Amino acid sequence: MYKAFGIVNSSSRNIRVEGLEDYRPIGAFSFLGRYRMVDFPISNLSNSGIDRIQIYVKEKPRTLVSHIGTGRHYNINSKSGRLQILFTDSDQRNNIYNTDIASYYENMECIEEMHHPYVVITPDYMVYTADFSRLIEQHIQSEADITLLYHAVDNAKDAYLNCNILNLNKQKGVLSIEPNHGNAKNRNIFMDTYIMKRELFIELIRKAKAISSAFTLADIINELHNELDVRGISHRGFFASITDFQSYYDANMDLIDIKAAQTLFDPEWPIYTRTNDSCPTHYYETAQIRNSVVSNGCQVEGTIENSILGRGCIIHKDAVIKNSVILSGAEIGEGVHIENQVVDKMVKILHVKEVVSDPALPGYIKRRDIL
Amino acid sequence: MKQNSMLAMILAGGRGSRLHDLTNKVAKPAVSYGGKYRIIDFPLSNCANSGIDVVGVLTQYESVELNSYVAAGGRWGLDSKNSGVYVLPPREKADTGLDVYRGTADAISQNIDFIDQYDPEYLLVLSGDHIYKMNYDKMLAFHKERQADATIAVIEVPLKEASRFGIMNTDGETDRITEFVEKPPVPESNLASMGIYIFNWKLLRKLLLADMKNPDSNHDFGKDIIPTLLGDEKRLFAYRFKGYWKDVGTIDSLWEANMDLLSPDNELDLSDLTWKIYTEDVTALPQYIGTEARIQNAYITQGCVIEGEVTNSVIFTGAKVRPGAKVIDSVLMPGAIVEDGAVVIRALVANGVNIGKGALVGSADSEHIELIAKRVKGAE
Repeated sequence: MYKAFGIVNSSSRNIRVEGLEDYRPIGAFSFLGRYRMVDFPISNLSNSGIDRIQIYVKEKPRTLVSHIGTGRHYNINSKSGRLQILFTDSDQRNNIYNTDIASYYENMECIEEMHHPYVVITPDYMVYTADFSRLIEQHIQSEADITLLYHAVDNAKDAYLNCNILNLNKQKGVLSIEPNHGNAKNRNIFMDTYIMKRELFIELIRKAKAISSAFTLADIINELHNELDVRGISHRGFFASITDFQSYYDANMDLIDIKAAQTLFDPEWPIYTRTNDSCPTHYYETAQIRNSVVSNGCQVEGTIENSILGRGCIIHKDAVIKNSVILSGAEIGEGVHIENQVVDKMVKILHVKEVVSDPALPGYIKRRDIL
Repeated sequence: MKQNSMLAMILAGGRGSRLHDLTNKVAKPAVSYGGKYRIIDFPLSNCANSGIDVVGVLTQYESVELNSYVAAGGRWGLDSKNSGVYVLPPREKADTGLDVYRGTADAISQNIDFIDQYDPEYLLVLSGDHIYKMNYDKMLAFHKERQADATIAVIEVPLKEASRFGIMNTDGETDRITEFVEKPPVPESNLASMGIYIFNWKLLRKLLLADMKNPDSNHDFGKDIIPTLLGDEKRLFAYRFKGYWKDVGTIDSLWEANMDLLSPDNELDLSDLTWKIYTEDVTALPQYIGTEARIQNAYITQGCVIEGEVTNSVIFTGAKVRPGAKVIDSVLMPGAIVEDGAVVIRALVANGVNIGKGALVGSADSEHIELIAKRVKGAE
């Protein structure tokens, strides 16, 4: 589709996922065993026929860059399509400057050289599927200036606390974009997904920059809401926002249930990722596993319940893993008991026999750590 | 990377008729194996891992699926400049009326023009039907070191089984081949040919051109080319391979080769990160294991949904075992579904086949493995 180019945006300044984010940006987080967060927005764009895609990265780009590579695995045409990774230097002294607008402004040349009339902006820290080609059609038909995607939730008091919400009028016009203060259960969570004309996008970047160095794209849309026709479209299906450690853990756990997974994954809408050419998983004589999601290349001799295993994990005899997210290449030793944990990549838990956290406060084991 | 001195040709034309309904629509090299692979992934991955850049795949029988599968050379990493996997079905040529490959040697002869484009020093000829991991570069080093005209990879088989194979008799010390006997009733040696040959291309090219014109020839490596070389007193050597090697000719042996993967010390070791076997990249979900599932001694891959019991079995991409179903000592090929309460014992369920609710297929004390190639209706 020639109508739009895509932007995959990285998380804004007020988001921090404790632990995991020390090692990689949220887009490079492992998700549900075999995926990385960025696979969802890129697959959505690719499946929507959008094959000119810009991916914005701020910090620690190594894992993200090596995962995305040439982008061939995202089924993007190797001649007409292109995946571009765009870096922006973060301001180390004051985080207030690290806005999406600053990233776009720094890469303005790359935005200007796109010849597509529309742009779709989608975040790398939210998990959902959406057909952008349909949303663009809806956007054009509505004659709105900007279309924003939102998800109506009934648990905004306890979750989505780092997200923005949309205040809508009855005609789905957006009155304002505001932070979720957690003071009401039913809210329209803004999915940080925008559709607008490329011209308007460039104009907004310039205006934001002129008004305030700390303005975000959401801020400038709020500021100009009297001049702009901004509409909301409601999203249905699975939605998760990975904006803190708990939401990362919860989103993984929620998808252990295959019925829930079917609201995210559709055989007609494949989520692409980089293959690792791992062999199938070997379950041995002593294995006991139920209600879990397992990636390839694992060797399982122990007990696993309500958990997710990344690629190539080794679970020894008499090890017990419950309610945990185990990232790829981890090894859990004989007789080790793990409960309510996120175990980062390549961790070995061999000497400590019990790592159990309160279900309300899951624990985190650092990348490549040996316990 | 510059193209190296050895080019590989994989003979993938065989039907594998003893695999019955499994090879009705696909050639044997395209048959699924080991959860996520196809048989031809093994020679192709071996080539890629051995640093061979150009691989020709000679197809003939039911080749549509195999051709399109193999043509995506990127799967095996054979996609840099000067590198590639080329599908070579028989083609009509101006000077001959041929449109089939008349034998293994003829398949190469008819593609001399293809090979000449690369002007290789050595030609590696492989079979597309065998499961094994082998470094062909080491075999080439042996070939060079012996100053051989041709080298044939051999594997030691029990002497009592040797009469099932093509057997190499050697001088014992340097492993120079003195005689090649196809399926000898009373074998003198236990060195079985693996159907893997390295030839000096210039010499082989000459022989093939002569063989094409010989009306009495079977145009076969084993029956014609190797005996001719031996008759001319050329230097032929046997390269001893140690490790897992399996020709999966029958349903029983295909089942067995899959079961071998369940053994904790299986020699094939597909988890070896230094010699990965590459295959098609499917976009399926990770494995989903349900709340009532029981899994013991199993090899399971991406895209599977296991809600019932799986014991001693290999479950391929996208296969599903529904609640209350049992799969024992069996192989479920890609996309096979075992519905609620159905039981599968000592069976091989073909691609996409549905075993209906409560149905029972296979039996615990059968002599042979049952192939289930058609939908089995369940109790409604």
